[in-house]
Amino acid sequence: MTQRNVKIESKVGLHARPAAMFVQTAARAAGDVTVAKRGGGDPVNAKSILSVLGLDARHGEEIVISADGDGADALLDELEALLSKPEPEQA
Amino acid sequence: MTRVLAPVSGRVVGLAGVPDPVFAQAMVGPGTAVDPERAPGHALAPVTGTIVKLHPHAYVVVDGEGHGVLVHLGIDTVQLKGEGFELLAAEGDAVTAGQPLVGWNPAAIEAGGRSPICAVVALDANADALSDVVESGEVDKGAELFTWS
Repeated sequence: MTQRNVKIESKVGLHARPAAMFVQTAARAAGDVTVAKRGGGDPVNAKSILSVLGLDARHGEEIVISADGDGADALLDELEALLSKPEPEQA
Repeated sequence: MTRVLAPVSGRVVGLAGVPDPVFAQAMVGPGTAVDPERAPGHALAPVTGTIVKLHPHAYVVVDGEGHGVLVHLGIDTVQLKGEGFELLAAEGDAVTAGQPLVGWNPAAIEAGGRSPICAVVALDANADALSDVVESGEVDKGAELFTWS
């Protein structure tokens, strides 16, 4: 299990548009991918848009993303890059 | 099977009619969209279930089968930070399909330079799990938009 702490730079948080990109990327992984709020809360399935929207991670909050298996590091790099983009306030 | 109801009255435009590629390309999930009547009104719960997320501009209701439906009121409306929206329920509430959840005015959204089109999206669903998806024509709120098996 590889873990990464990431601060959410997207102005809208991990919501509609960033959440959709995040889940689509996570869904390509063969192994389990989870996401949790740092410092509390159970990890949820990062491949589920329902779970990710339910997590309600907001701008400036830190989350912990975890992945299993081959390519976990590369996947976490990709997910981190998505969340680190201070994309405009959309959706 | 989940019957998903129109949260607003208006003209059905399908997801392809949403002026946002993430919705239009069904990246959030499959579903449809309604261009609402330009009059103050209420956006309704699309299914009977529990409100798992309630933002002024968007909400998710999960039914007894675990099917979560997202209703997104207008595009880029997160920028409004709740202004012009009135919450009529709370997160965690058990609601009935057709129950009013948010008061809003699509005409005011449009006057502010944003599209008031409402996307109604099945979360974590494959497109082939949806049937009888309405993608055009006029719809009254509370009428069926699609079924989800």
